[in-house]
Amino acid sequence: MRRLLHRSFRAVSGLQHRLGRRLTPAGQLAGAGLLAALVIGPNTRLTVAYQAATFIGALLLVALAGVLRRPPALVIRRRLPRFATVGEPLSYPVTVLNPGPRPAAGLTVLEDLADPRPSFEAWRTTPAPDEARRNRFDRAVGYPRWAWLLSMSQRATIGEQPLPVLPPGAEVETRLSLLPQRRGRLTLSGTTVARREPLGLMRALRPRPAPATLVILPRRYPLPPLTLPGARRYQHGGVALAQSVGDSEEFVSLRDYRPGDPLKRIHWRSWARSGRPVVREYQDEFFVRHALVLDTFTPAPTAAFEEAVSVAASFACSAGTQESLLDLLFVGPEAFSVTAGRGVGHVEHLLEILAAVQPCRDRPFATLDRLLLERQAALSGAICVLLGWDAPRRALVSRLRGLGIPTLALVVTDPTATPAVGADGEEAGVHRLLVGRVGEGLARLRGDA
Amino acid sequence: MPPLLLGAALGFWGWQTGVLPVGLAMALGLEARTLVRSRWDLQRADFNRVSDLSTVLLVLMGVYQAVANESARAVTGIIQWLPLLLFPLVACQLYSAAGRVEVAVFFWSQRTRPDETVRVDLTPAYFGLCLLAASTANARTTFYAGLVVLAGWALWHVRGRTGRLRWGLAMAVAALLGWAGHVGLAEAQRVVERRAQSLFLSWIRRDPDPYRTTTSLGDIGELKLSDRIVLRVEPGPGARIPALLRQASYNAYHAPAWIAVDGGFTAVPPEADGATWLLRPDGATDARLTVSAYLPRGRGLLALPNGAVRLDDLMVVSLARSRLGAVRVDEGLGLVTYTAHFPRRGSDESPPTPGDVRVPPRETEAITRVAAELGLAGRPPAEAIAALRAYFLGRFHYTRYLRGAGPGRTALEEFLLTTHAGHCEYFATATTLLLRASGVPARYAVGYAVHEWSGVEHRWVVRARDAHAWALAWVDGAWIEVDTTPAVWIEEETSPASAWQTVSDVWEWATFAFARWRWSERQDRLTGNLGWLLIPLAAMLVWRMWARRRVGQAAPAQAAVMPSPRAGGDSEFYRVERRLTELGFARAPGEPLARWLDVVAAAAPPAVATAPLPALLALHHRYRFDPAGLAAADRRRLRTDAEAWLAAHPPGPASGRAAAT
Repeated sequence: MRRLLHRSFRAVSGLQHRLGRRLTPAGQLAGAGLLAALVIGPNTRLTVAYQAATFIGALLLVALAGVLRRPPALVIRRRLPRFATVGEPLSYPVTVLNPGPRPAAGLTVLEDLADPRPSFEAWRTTPAPDEARRNRFDRAVGYPRWAWLLSMSQRATIGEQPLPVLPPGAEVETRLSLLPQRRGRLTLSGTTVARREPLGLMRALRPRPAPATLVILPRRYPLPPLTLPGARRYQHGGVALAQSVGDSEEFVSLRDYRPGDPLKRIHWRSWARSGRPVVREYQDEFFVRHALVLDTFTPAPTAAFEEAVSVAASFACSAGTQESLLDLLFVGPEAFSVTAGRGVGHVEHLLEILAAVQPCRDRPFATLDRLLLERQAALSGAICVLLGWDAPRRALVSRLRGLGIPTLALVVTDPTATPAVGADGEEAGVHRLLVGRVGEGLARLRGDA
Repeated sequence: MPPLLLGAALGFWGWQTGVLPVGLAMALGLEARTLVRSRWDLQRADFNRVSDLSTVLLVLMGVYQAVANESARAVTGIIQWLPLLLFPLVACQLYSAAGRVEVAVFFWSQRTRPDETVRVDLTPAYFGLCLLAASTANARTTFYAGLVVLAGWALWHVRGRTGRLRWGLAMAVAALLGWAGHVGLAEAQRVVERRAQSLFLSWIRRDPDPYRTTTSLGDIGELKLSDRIVLRVEPGPGARIPALLRQASYNAYHAPAWIAVDGGFTAVPPEADGATWLLRPDGATDARLTVSAYLPRGRGLLALPNGAVRLDDLMVVSLARSRLGAVRVDEGLGLVTYTAHFPRRGSDESPPTPGDVRVPPRETEAITRVAAELGLAGRPPAEAIAALRAYFLGRFHYTRYLRGAGPGRTALEEFLLTTHAGHCEYFATATTLLLRASGVPARYAVGYAVHEWSGVEHRWVVRARDAHAWALAWVDGAWIEVDTTPAVWIEEETSPASAWQTVSDVWEWATFAFARWRWSERQDRLTGNLGWLLIPLAAMLVWRMWARRRVGQAAPAQAAVMPSPRAGGDSEFYRVERRLTELGFARAPGEPLARWLDVVAAAAPPAVATAPLPALLALHHRYRFDPAGLAAADRRRLRTDAEAWLAAHPPGPASGRAAAT
């Protein structure tokens, strides 16, 4: 039964997609008008809606005849950048070649996105965020979940781009614009050349495969100039470009050999110059090293989760400019720790990882606890982006503080959720960020952090 | 949406639905947006309110239509008024700075969401809605042409780049195809309806079946009939009350049913005015009678006096008449009022056939026995009828209680030979068959007896319980009514009337008055009243809008941005500057204030005190540009010093800068 439902959803979504590509907005309005007229007009004595129905039907029929001739085959090459960011329109160049013997006019180009329809497994196992509030029928049939999953996997909208007149053999460059809507990997499967038929109700299409991918990075918020907790405490020597990490040993000077020094530290050239054994001396270095902890323990990728990822991305970016190391810690299919800053890793790398973070449904919160405590000795501070303020999360933050690690806790919640933070008085260093007003909440950090 | 198209669609809607002034006013209201430069800064909450207003109007209209119409017409009635109901929302969209409406406005569940939802343009859908709503007015001659013109106008603006000729050709082909399609569709429905008509009629009809009526002869129990008023009668010259109004007549008895053999219907064409229907072109009349009757779903059998020749003022679409005199409305309004013209002497239509003198074999024995007892055979028709009247009046009595038939006997035998009691169907059936036995052609007729004068309504009323049956006899070349049921039946039927009768009669009179208003003069009254109702609503909306702040004309597709209030914009130094300008020390455009004050100080006559001005300017600058603002004491000093200076320098002619330099 559920497989049948899934199949029918797939079929309906596929039909919707095909109709959306085939029909122009005017054509879609005509189609809706035809349906409405058919509903009103079966009794030809009562109303003349049947006249409207036959006329619209005739219009669509003529339009259908108009799209039998396909538009000419064009060679389209796009130059996609590697990254885009949610909410920021991206415009990229496309070269179009008309190899045919006749000029091509009145054409448009459409991008084909990869099939966004969720698999049966994904549909069966992923609950929608507001599912608990839905009625029994919705939960049983699962269409809202399907629609939500579909919208989640539609990562970008790409409009129809008109092409200039292409003389035979000519190549022109134009730009396509894309509006990223959700983070993750955007897969383009091909391009389609389209032409409106004379009535402007339908498009004649000529698709052509041209696969390409693009990573859409999470939305990022501007952060106020922020003194991260624990910063500057270990800022010895001002070594800004060290290639080593954390408590690594750093070359300091040369000195005479003392018995017991390891042979690998002997500086052979100085020995040759001076005639006595000389060794390289190292000393421990201390860097500012922050943990950016992202809470992924939520059953569904809710809006709050997406905002939490955005907040983490915002911190990842700003930390990259602040001459410190940043460990991104989160639990996905396994526990991850990724380091960036001071030449070790690039912020882009962190963002790319954040673009792909998914909620963790099969592990307990304690996994994150352990991951963090394993690294606590090296940490000078922690920023925790949390999805709630329940007992385990409170315990994590208080344990970190107990270990002497200054911790900034940001709790991202839905405005309708019960205000767990602030209910028992605003704790120092714990801030509530409301979905929809996260930027505002982050800007307010300036005075408090 | 191209300019004027929406207005044209609204005008078309108004024209088709018969509310042209309303349509034109709405069109004007929407198209005036190109002339009005300012736009309202409407937020989601405002749109929510307007959307709620439309919803309330929709609900009111739904209730009204449900009360006033039956289901199919109620639905089309609601659709017909949708352009008016959604007008506030569309007008708000067009006159708002945003120019679009958020989808969340239409869903209660999304209204609380803080983030902005998708914004949509309602006008294309509204355009389509106007055309659909126009179609429900059923203007069969003009709608299609208007539809093609408006659709062509809209499609011209979205056409592909393939040349005007091809576009014109495609439109012409589509228009022709659509025309052929709708003509074919209407014809197809006509054919199907004709085939299924008798089946359909027997299914939905509450009226007697014109082909067959089943009597209660032989049933057991008490007949119970409703007090509901079904007809209202106003007799004209020549008409007499009490009277019988016939709905159908039958010519073959097959116990317990009377059947109309060869009673097929033929359509009656209306006269030129569309309201006069000639049932028999050659008939002479000398009496008339006006009847008001409800027609459920706009169809039903008309109750008519015997031998009706012509019907006046009957506002229906199609009418059909059977050979046996039944008249059926196939499509009409919910309430019809018609004047029937008829001859007093009886009807000479549809002369008798051999079937009209046939007595069914099962009843032959009893009928022959009674006929012999009365000596009916061979007597002239008038005498036979008189004998029958006397026989039934003297020996029989009326009862609504049904006893059923005895073992081995028919119900009619039981009635004639044993019980001598029954209701009108017994009397009518027995009379018909006895007349036939005496050689007089006779038929069985059903309809209503008119006998009750209503003090509430001041006219004759006919209730459902006045349903009656009688015989028709062919005497001297005409069908005359022979009602042998003892007149006491009327009292019998009336006696159990409830104490609430008067109350329910008043209520029925009120609903009748409403229905008559509703169906009279087509729909103009409704329209006019609804239009008046809209005025206070529109006024309220406009007032609410006016009370809001307005923002300047937004560039198309660009959201209006509120200018942030300028810090220090209320500084009194501006007044000092204006006063100096009035005194003739105009500041050159772009001249810094400090340098200008230097120039003024150098050029001013001693009457103009320039010494305090630099201090004032310093305060003014701090007030305007210092991010920390001005302390309260300094702010006060700026005000008092400036006002003191202004008081010392009243406006008036002074030696101007030009003169001084």
